[in-house]
Amino acid sequence: MSKRKLIKRFSYKVIPFILLFVPLFITQAYVLHLLIMIAINVVLASSLRFVAISGQFSLVHAGMVSIGAYTSTLLVMKLGLSFWAALPLAGLLAMIIALLVGYPFVRLKGIYFTMVTLFLTEFIRLTAEQWRSLTGGVSGIIAIPRPNAVIIPGLLNASFASKTDFYYLALIMVAVTLWVLYAIESSRIGMTFLSIQQSDSLAESLGVNSSGFRVLAFSLGCFFAGIAGAFYSHYLSAITPASFGFLLSIYVFIYMVVGGMQRFSGPIIGACVLTLIPEFARGFKEYEPFVFAAILLLVIFFLRGGLVSLPQSLSYYIKKRWSHA
Amino acid sequence: MYEYGHFQFAFAVQAGNGFRQKETRCCFLVIAQIGKASMLVQNLLNGLMSGWIYILVALGLTLVLSIVGIVQFAHGEVYMVGAYIVYYFCVSAGLNFFLSLLISILCTGLLGIILERFFLRPFRDDMEGAIITTIALILILQTAVVATAGVSYKDVPSPIQGVLTLLGARLSWERLITILISIALVSGLLIFINKTRIGQAMIAVSEDRSAAALMGLNVNRVSSVAMFLGCALAAAAGGLTGTIFVLTPFMGGFALMKGIEVIILGGLGSISGTIIGGLILGLVDGLVTPLLSVQIAGIIELTVIILILLFRPQGLLGHE
Amino acid sequence: MVGLIGPNGAGKTTVFNLLTGFLRPTRGRVLLDGKDITSQKPHSIAKKGIVRTFQATNLFSNFSVLQNIIAACYLKSKVNFWEAMLHTPSSCKKEEDVLNRALEIMRFVGLDAVKDQPARSLPHGYKRILGIAVSMAADPQLLLLDEPLSGMNAEEANTAVALIRRIWEQGTTVLLIEHNMRAAMNLCQRIIVLEMGSKIAEGSPEEVRANKEVIQAYLGTGKRAT
Repeated sequence: MSKRKLIKRFSYKVIPFILLFVPLFITQAYVLHLLIMIAINVVLASSLRFVAISGQFSLVHAGMVSIGAYTSTLLVMKLGLSFWAALPLAGLLAMIIALLVGYPFVRLKGIYFTMVTLFLTEFIRLTAEQWRSLTGGVSGIIAIPRPNAVIIPGLLNASFASKTDFYYLALIMVAVTLWVLYAIESSRIGMTFLSIQQSDSLAESLGVNSSGFRVLAFSLGCFFAGIAGAFYSHYLSAITPASFGFLLSIYVFIYMVVGGMQRFSGPIIGACVLTLIPEFARGFKEYEPFVFAAILLLVIFFLRGGLVSLPQSLSYYIKKRWSHA
Repeated sequence: MYEYGHFQFAFAVQAGNGFRQKETRCCFLVIAQIGKASMLVQNLLNGLMSGWIYILVALGLTLVLSIVGIVQFAHGEVYMVGAYIVYYFCVSAGLNFFLSLLISILCTGLLGIILERFFLRPFRDDMEGAIITTIALILILQTAVVATAGVSYKDVPSPIQGVLTLLGARLSWERLITILISIALVSGLLIFINKTRIGQAMIAVSEDRSAAALMGLNVNRVSSVAMFLGCALAAAAGGLTGTIFVLTPFMGGFALMKGIEVIILGGLGSISGTIIGGLILGLVDGLVTPLLSVQIAGIIELTVIILILLFRPQGLLGHE
Repeated sequence: MVGLIGPNGAGKTTVFNLLTGFLRPTRGRVLLDGKDITSQKPHSIAKKGIVRTFQATNLFSNFSVLQNIIAACYLKSKVNFWEAMLHTPSSCKKEEDVLNRALEIMRFVGLDAVKDQPARSLPHGYKRILGIAVSMAADPQLLLLDEPLSGMNAEEANTAVALIRRIWEQGTTVLLIEHNMRAAMNLCQRIIVLEMGSKIAEGSPEEVRANKEVIQAYLGTGKRAT
């Protein structure tokens, strides 16, 4: 027990410290880009897990990212809002849409909920392709402006012309997301989500509005997906409907499962490891999906708790071996 | 990358005379000619043909779902693999198309048996595991085809050239044959299910697996047969599609979507529902796409499907 | 305490489902203290003070015994969303109160020794007792117990009967479905008998025991089937 507490304390203090100073040592744009993509994926995977702990597997995340991306882009480019206003509004719109579809959706059980979220993602993508006047259709939108510069004389000059500024913004986004998600999950609200996941009939009989809580988990998860989408669009400066197809939903789902759904840190680890895999698969880019598939199969056959349960499984396995000796 | 609109893109392009084509992969803009009767008949035929292809895919998916007990998300990839096997035997090895189709059906069926035994059976009652394992299969099958055949579009020459002229519309024999073969396959399947002992066993397992096992049925063997048939149907669909539209390793996602939509529309557990659902879907695709756009057809269909899932989950003819 | 008995398939659990909103009646109304609560959702009915248990063991299987009870205590202890999320001192105090109450309930019920074990690993009898403890923790006005003693051996059944009696003595109205006749007759002042969906008898345990129709329902008429 104390070993785990030590590791926890270590990660909470030291890792953020290290992350803060990374750009001082690493200036290659490509490495910073990678870290930023990891940050985005951490936000997506963690917020997907937040929906999962209430007992539902959602595949609509890509659609919500899309809504966030397009909303922020259009608010900035068509209405002239500042990025700093557009970002939360984008998340808010994703959340509102999730609330609206959430109430009918959460009544569906199991795989049907997952299916209907998959269809919604496709629906959103097709709408983005069709509504050319709003979204630029299939070719999407380009030349999305950078976030408005933040200038505090003498202290801060962030013009977002370089990746470093985006890196810090990504760091803030991850920190805020994880803080909110963790705060909620470690409170009794989190306990309530977990109780619904295990037995919604028992929870209902104890006064828990299981549909209401499911919608809450769903909308909050989608809020952060929207935020990630808004960040993504202003970072990459170009978006198309195809970038938010159901494949993205599936990848986020994979990050969550491979990392491990039982623990809060699971999706974080999953996102980090799996975002980096394509980097190491550079030499054999064609076969990269094989590596993904292999990891998926390994996890599903041998390590159901995900990577985050690896130390536990290993020590259990070692103990078993030792006790035979 | 999933290419959702591949089928419908090629669809819109081939819908008749006087259409300008755009070569870019993602651009499905087609100028529609409205109103000509011949155009209507042609679109109807294309719709019917799509419908029957969707029926083949959906029946395969339904067989696996009700008997093996898993939503086989890699079903689209099986369809794609079937198409590529036909391509290989027909184009590379130079065999007769129909022979290649038969070989593909058998090979893909056998592949299915292997997949079911090792990748699906362990996760029968484990939804989360089933989702992951089928996703892994999608990646494996897709990448295997990309690695062996590459990503460029492939073309299978049609076995029967020529057109039939009816009411001023030019109906290609190819499409008519596709419809006829599909009908034959579906009829064959129905006869098999209703008249053979294994077919009856399949019905029993689909209704209650544990009861069937208690009655002495070898559930595993029945599952293998169901998987064989399901993948065979998908391969047939893929092979038939290949003569009309181009092949890409990413054509699977589209087939999967259509399959699921048909099942939901027609109703889980109902074969006649699947047939009717498939035809409706095909006709909507066939008529709306040239008229409006691929996206609008999709949006209409998805709206209906989502509403069905929410308010009438048993679909048109289903019983659950 | 009222007992609800009858042969299998009589509809006893259905009555519970109808009373607590798990099933919607096609006809008729459910009144609580004169107010109509028909067709309300189960969680609203629970908040009005009616808690039910389940015929088949229904627990939060991954939660520990303690966590199961804590989850039930939330019914009586209200915490605002923002307070909970921000872990304010007042909400932390409430969590502490809940924890203390849960520990007390566990000690009372006798599950103290296994408090940190996951519920799914408990032996069957303990699981049923936990089910009763969970419903007790929700502190209801009216408690509907659905065959709480099913599957218990004599010792466990005695513990459970004492527990149920204590719950009743503390002021909770109890409606009990039970097949264990001795327990039902011992605990209840009034018994209602159902058969095939209709009420065929009602009265004190002695009256019901002697009622001819009740005996027929359980034991048959002695006539051969032709």
